[in-house]
Amino acid sequence: MKTILVLGVIALIAVFIIAQYNRLVRLNITVDEAWSQIEVQLKRRADLIPNLVETVKGYAKHEQSTFDAVVTARAKATSATGIAETAAADGMLTQALRGLLAVAEAYPDLKASTNFLSLQEELSTTENKVSFSRQFYNDNVRSLNTAVKTIPSSLFASLAKVTEREFYEVENPQDRNVPNVKF
Amino acid sequence: MNFRTMQAANRRKTIGLLIGMGVLVWVVVYAALTYFGSSTAGIVSIAVGIALVSVWGSYYGSDKLVLTMTGAKLIQESDNPKLFDLIHEITIASGLPMPKVAIVVDSAPNAFATGRNPEHALIAFTTGILDAMDRDQLQGVIAHEMAHVANRDTLVSAVAATTAGAIAILSDMLTRMMWFGGGRDRNREGGGNPLALVVSLVILILAPLAAMMLKSAISRKRESLADATAVAFTRNPAGLRSALEVLAADSTVVQQRSTAVAHIWIESPLDAKSVSKLFSTHPPIAERIAVLKSMESLG
Repeated sequence: MKTILVLGVIALIAVFIIAQYNRLVRLNITVDEAWSQIEVQLKRRADLIPNLVETVKGYAKHEQSTFDAVVTARAKATSATGIAETAAADGMLTQALRGLLAVAEAYPDLKASTNFLSLQEELSTTENKVSFSRQFYNDNVRSLNTAVKTIPSSLFASLAKVTEREFYEVENPQDRNVPNVKF
Repeated sequence: MNFRTMQAANRRKTIGLLIGMGVLVWVVVYAALTYFGSSTAGIVSIAVGIALVSVWGSYYGSDKLVLTMTGAKLIQESDNPKLFDLIHEITIASGLPMPKVAIVVDSAPNAFATGRNPEHALIAFTTGILDAMDRDQLQGVIAHEMAHVANRDTLVSAVAATTAGAIAILSDMLTRMMWFGGGRDRNREGGGNPLALVVSLVILILAPLAAMMLKSAISRKRESLADATAVAFTRNPAGLRSALEVLAADSTVVQQRSTAVAHIWIESPLDAKSVSKLFSTHPPIAERIAVLKSMESLG
């Protein structure tokens, strides 16, 4: 009878440890997945830009400084590595694109062109996808970091080789609070 | 209250209501046994069995079943790329897989979600809602539907429908038995407390009504929860709020007014005046708008 009781308690403890361990590992994997989603969406946006710049150039030849800003920001964004650097470049590119679309406002012919309209729709959905993937990533980092820091899960963090992760913070603090970027 | 505390509160209330359902089943069975004696034990399991088979059959095939019941047609990305873009945005915000998408040709603005799990989810929109709403509003509606998927509301309503159905069948069977002299058992066991018998009878008659009310209350809680979860996805209560305002201003209702699928739409397809608040599957739309407005003011 006594041995059954002892075995039962040991089994319960084992189940508890496994559950804590698996939860941490799962949270960590979700953060990795959320990060790759950010990269996918950033790449999608970077791929849209050459076409967009060309289209705007066709109508607004004298806005060279704006085009340069976008092209430089895009180059920085595509070569950025690591979370902090990627986030900084992402923020810069978002700003530059806003500048480009503000320029476009001044050219009615451009605004009326179907090519530009479809690019604009694609850019606004991509911009939303970028900000939603940031939001999803940060939410998951928040859950992971809470788990790593609070008892009982914190006791198993080193066992599961899971550590706190870095938030994805875009330079312009408004970008994080307002997911719906309007162009 | 922000959306996180709203979500937690709504979840707690659903659990409370489901416990209420369990208690109700127990009370009904107890009343049946008191009134008819222990020979009714078999009938209880038959009633629960019938309810289980019918409801869970429809739960398992919910995506296909609802398609035929509502006349919705599945569409592909090429049919409406803009809609798919919006849905894709919410899948990124929620981490859910891409659902199947369907369209109902109906000028009344409405939408619904179904499917037994996120992998088999289906969300449908009427042509009316796609025409009436701008990007932000539609995003709010999609987030609300995806919130139903994330919160597994098809499962919750299947559980609610099973218990409500079992109680209805049980009560029906026992009422029939009463006409055919089901009281014999009672006499054999030497009668019993007459007050207990009367109370049992009243319980058996009122139970289906109570079960329907609980089922509707669960449905209303799930709607509020879906609104809160939608805000968790978009962080933009204004989008869903103005979408609900469009729905509130619109007086047309979806043509098929079947009560069987009323609970799945974002706005109740039944005329609000004909359904009293206790049996309504949805909270009043003005109440939902007020809650979203309070979330907006939090920023």
